[in-house]
Amino acid sequence: MNKTTTVGIAVACGLAALIGTSKRADRRAPAQTHVDTARTFNHSSALLALSVLSDSAMEHYRGSFDNPAMYTPIVVSALSLLAGLHGGRDHEPQRHPCRNSVYVGAALAGLAGTGFHVYNITKRPGQWSWHNLFYAAPIGAPMALLLSGALGAVAERLRDEPQHEPRLFGMPAGRALALLTSAGLVGTLGEVALLHFRGAFQNPAMYAPIVIPPVAAALLVNTAIAAPRSRWFTRLWLRMTAALGVVGVGFHARGIARNHGGWRNWSQNLFNGPPLPAPPSFSALALAGLAAQRLRETER
Amino acid sequence: MNLPRYPEYNVLDKRDTPSWDDVTRAVIGERLATPREPRFFDAVQWNAVRALCACIVPQRKGSHLDREPVPVPALLDAKLAKGSGDGYRDARLPPMRDAWRIGLAALDAESRARHELPFARIDDDAQKTLLIDMQQGELRHGAWQGMSSELFFKERVLHDICGAYYSHPHAWSEIGFGGPANPRGYVRMYFDRRDPWEAAQAEPGKEEQAREENRRVR
Repeated sequence: MNKTTTVGIAVACGLAALIGTSKRADRRAPAQTHVDTARTFNHSSALLALSVLSDSAMEHYRGSFDNPAMYTPIVVSALSLLAGLHGGRDHEPQRHPCRNSVYVGAALAGLAGTGFHVYNITKRPGQWSWHNLFYAAPIGAPMALLLSGALGAVAERLRDEPQHEPRLFGMPAGRALALLTSAGLVGTLGEVALLHFRGAFQNPAMYAPIVIPPVAAALLVNTAIAAPRSRWFTRLWLRMTAALGVVGVGFHARGIARNHGGWRNWSQNLFNGPPLPAPPSFSALALAGLAAQRLRETER
Repeated sequence: MNLPRYPEYNVLDKRDTPSWDDVTRAVIGERLATPREPRFFDAVQWNAVRALCACIVPQRKGSHLDREPVPVPALLDAKLAKGSGDGYRDARLPPMRDAWRIGLAALDAESRARHELPFARIDDDAQKTLLIDMQQGELRHGAWQGMSSELFFKERVLHDICGAYYSHPHAWSEIGFGGPANPRGYVRMYFDRRDPWEAAQAEPGKEEQAREENRRVR
């Protein structure tokens, strides 16, 4: 059973990646503009926000909203989600002030949340112990909100740039976005590594999200610093990372089913089992990475 | 009289919820259906054991007890009739069934020696005095057959009777216990947190809120 599903995930990742790359080859014709890239980043931000919204709503409900600040990520990520959906349909080559402030707010809320989670860990007996890193407020979770805000805010800044040779942070925009996405992948990787270690890698498929994304992140750094050109190998790994988000939800759903009482006992197992909303973070970042790669290909 | 700490909480409300499965329902159902008539004790022992249980876990009908009393003697009898024991035993005491036969006979013998009546027929104060002497190991009638009355009190009377009382769902409701965590356990594993399927404790002045939450416990 275990082996079959593990083989299943591998095949699914491979297929998704292959289909993705071949599709790319078909619609190469229209060149990627900076607004297209910005819209994809809006969408990626929205997907991250969706992940944060469902995860923080569940986990903070579990935490009984002990601190009123625990409502913050729910409100902020919902706004970020709306801003992302709006931005994804918006072709205007200039930043939207309202969306921009939502994104900056989300990023700040993510930073503040990290502070709260660090405080939660250190106030518990044992302070910086493995036990508290595993079972207190997850230290990496608010980073996803920070990333959602950062991807969105960058998308808004990108719209303000000229269509030819857009620049961000004093470098070609494609390079900046590739580096930002790569950093996001590495951060998410840290959280997954910690929690899959807590889960004792009891299913070999649990290694997939700590093996595939770092390769994609490294290839994105290469995209950023090497001369721009089309890179099918980078696209392949990014698409595999994107597929992880979908297949991961499937595995997590199966993990919940395997807990005592299964899905009938959802009121316990949704919280006790692997987090259902977590894996799509990888899809969001990989889609942003693909957009960065496409933009980078147009640069000199 | 204090108000109940978990007002309107009834652990049996969880019977048909995700908290319990078929195995749990079967085990609890069997316990609730424990025969009220003794199978292990004879009539004389039954009188003594009922009086003894009433001393150790008094369950007089009163303002705080608006439910059926826990059938402690019947649960104890069922345990002895089944005879599976605890899985361990103090070697200074005879096996469980022998210890109970000897202990109840000795209790009646001590009672007759002092009051010319069996234990079940003497008044409450006399029963209490006799049990205090038993607890302090001061009963040495020949009917004890060398068994220490102190050990019998501590390791059979208290252990088996209190164990029987708290094995019953009525006692769980009283103390806010959730019963077997099978299949549903607990997810809010931190101080002063409560899962929605746990009993709500009445804080002073907030009894109505606890009552409302306990009606919803599923």
